[in-house]
Amino acid sequence: MAETEIQATVVVDARGLLCPMPIVKTAKAMRELAPGDVLTVMATDRGSVADVPAWAGSTGNELLEWHQEGETFVFLLRKGEGD
Amino acid sequence: MAETQKLVIMVTHGPAEPELASIPFSMAGGALASDVDVVMGFQGDGCLLVKKGVADTVAAPGFTPLRELLPTIQELGGKILVCSPCCKSRGLTEADLLDGAEIVAAGRFVAEITSATNSLTY
Repeated sequence: MAETEIQATVVVDARGLLCPMPIVKTAKAMRELAPGDVLTVMATDRGSVADVPAWAGSTGNELLEWHQEGETFVFLLRKGEGD
Repeated sequence: MAETQKLVIMVTHGPAEPELASIPFSMAGGALASDVDVVMGFQGDGCLLVKKGVADTVAAPGFTPLRELLPTIQELGGKILVCSPCCKSRGLTEADLLDGAEIVAAGRFVAEITSATNSLTY
């Protein structure tokens, strides 16, 4: 697993939350950030593996990478220029 | 960013069918998180879901309980429209419904659906 050197501005802990709350929490947190800021999302809902990339694509944010740590899916997102 | 999209989600199942009552709220949450405007239309037994206190009792396995999801939908700006004749036949008035819920008739539903990007019916 490649180590990332990108530092996240904010971490969203969505572990234990069910659909659609991981992306709801992610969207709320992203609204507070500036374009270029990086957000880490932690989720345990298996659906988030498809949901977070789809959400990023449809909202103009960038999924930098994701990986699994035990039962937790970790996503690194960069806020886009929109909003 | 592209121009705002709008999704209309019609809900026709009530508390007796928790999964079919929960799916439309999950879709609404996903849409609102994705910057899509949402109008939820409640018809038939779906109207019972927006009666004060009822959402607190609806939870389907694997789904976020409505007591958490419904306030989230309202907080994110989702609109709640409720079928007038369906309320009448169930003895529901605006005072019985959640704050922000609006009783409307077919013309408004049609206007919302025809001006939406897409609509879903559950």
